[in-house]
Amino acid sequence: MVEHRKLSRRKLLGTAAIAATAAAAGGLGTVTSLFGEQSQVPSDEKSLPTFTGPSQNPYWNSVGPVVQYPQKFPLVLLTDRPVQLETPRHYFEAAFTPNGAFYVRWHLDEIPNSVDLASWRLNVEGSVERPLKFSMGDLTSKFKPVTVAAVNQCSGNSRSKFQPRVPGGQWGHGAMGNAKWTGVPLRELLDAAKIKQDALFVQFRGLDEGKGPEGHGSHEFLKSLDLKNTVLDDCIVAYAMNDEPLPMLNGFPVRLVVPGYFATYWMKGLSWIRVLDKPDENFWMKTGYRVPDTPRGDTTPEDMKTGNVKTVPINRMPVRSFIVTPDGATKLISQIPLTIRGIAFSGHGAINKLEISVDDGKSFNAADLGEDYGPYSFRTWSYKWAPPKPGRYVLAARATDRKGNSQPDEDVWNPGGYLWNRIDRQEIFVGRNS
Amino acid sequence: MRRTTIGFIAILAGLAAVASSLVYAQFNAGYYAVRNPGAIAQSALPKETDGATYSVAAYPLYTPELAPGTGREEVQSYCSTCHSTRYITMQPPLPPETWAAEVNKMVKVMGQPIPEEVQPVIIKYLQTHYTPETRKP
Repeated sequence: MVEHRKLSRRKLLGTAAIAATAAAAGGLGTVTSLFGEQSQVPSDEKSLPTFTGPSQNPYWNSVGPVVQYPQKFPLVLLTDRPVQLETPRHYFEAAFTPNGAFYVRWHLDEIPNSVDLASWRLNVEGSVERPLKFSMGDLTSKFKPVTVAAVNQCSGNSRSKFQPRVPGGQWGHGAMGNAKWTGVPLRELLDAAKIKQDALFVQFRGLDEGKGPEGHGSHEFLKSLDLKNTVLDDCIVAYAMNDEPLPMLNGFPVRLVVPGYFATYWMKGLSWIRVLDKPDENFWMKTGYRVPDTPRGDTTPEDMKTGNVKTVPINRMPVRSFIVTPDGATKLISQIPLTIRGIAFSGHGAINKLEISVDDGKSFNAADLGEDYGPYSFRTWSYKWAPPKPGRYVLAARATDRKGNSQPDEDVWNPGGYLWNRIDRQEIFVGRNS
Repeated sequence: MRRTTIGFIAILAGLAAVASSLVYAQFNAGYYAVRNPGAIAQSALPKETDGATYSVAAYPLYTPELAPGTGREEVQSYCSTCHSTRYITMQPPLPPETWAAEVNKMVKVMGQPIPEEVQPVIIKYLQTHYTPETRKP
């Protein structure tokens, strides 16, 4: 105990300065405690850098400042125009992400601040026998509502983990969220309008628009799905998110929900459903959001230079899991039990196994799965563990889905920065208990 | 005289038809305003009405400081037509050829009309300040 009193002159000066600051801030309680142990002086807090790279982003989230937007809790800023905001890690302790905490990603800068539902209509048009316009009232009263719990994850979630780094939104792991979506089955709207025989694709457009010239990706954001794709049977035009109206930034008044698919198809502010009699040639299908047609969508910068990498539109989400707590920010105590917690999901159906390693992936043990909210939801999991002795540990989580897909322990690389699903790790430090 | 009037009415009717076909929904979009970072806002209560208009406040802008140097003004004017310059500062340090490819993509694919003589100025600026070798914390 004696050595704790041996503060150097410099430390004492530092302590005095902090004490003065704390006193000025009215924190007298802190001042008294400062004369106890030296380690209680909060002297080693460092602010995050303003960017990461060229190496991998070492943090769980992106490093942007925390900002507040209308209808949202404080979130991590990626860009302000158009708006891209990331959800902080701790929100993922729960199976459902609150609307206020749900991440935001727009492509074009003219995004709605205000919508008048007296004039707003959802148009179903194109290769249909009977073009239709639905008001919000039509959607809520003329169709029986259906609800699905589904994960919405940005295609570029975890892009900042890529090596070498690729341009694009430098997301950490927080460009995802899980919500209970309520609305009208897309099929019922298409059936009401009667799709013509020659129809091939269904295209979606929202209220957002960009300042780029017409005919370019910078002017309008359009996505489409093949009419033969069975995912259409699961799609919902949602007017409620976690039993509330959608926040403006998450797609008010309605957004498309495509369970199991990456969020690029989940059109926000959905206002036009167009049935096409030919493939969609627009930028966001033909050029953007494409992945190499290889296992895991993996390739190399060298192969890309040959120009021979065949690509396909991004589609289902690979299996993933995340350690949410402990988050490494706090030193743990030897032999005191803790619960390692997190979430898992897969675009290929339910999670049926989650394993935890406390030795950097050398050996794994099964964790307990939380409540099952359906195949497209986050599944929480937990694993009780007492660190046996002091030292450094690396925790790792590995999920397996119903189809038998397991998370690999290798990086993925493609020029778009998509499909990252490597086993998630968390380094922790454990101290002596006496 | 009468003929002119009829013609005038026909033009008005035509204009109205065009206008009504353009109006698909009343909504406002793209309203942004500068805010101080770090300030946590407390929402003011809305004036309650039973109307059908749903609104939110302006989306806050957080315009970053770009590295001082030749080409900064060109970047600020040409690169912020469609997006804020935070799209630049958010990136990791990128190799010089990646910056050239990004600018070319904005011109050729996205259709941003950056004059031929300005394009190399913008590329040079990004390469001078935002590569692994040149980016400053």
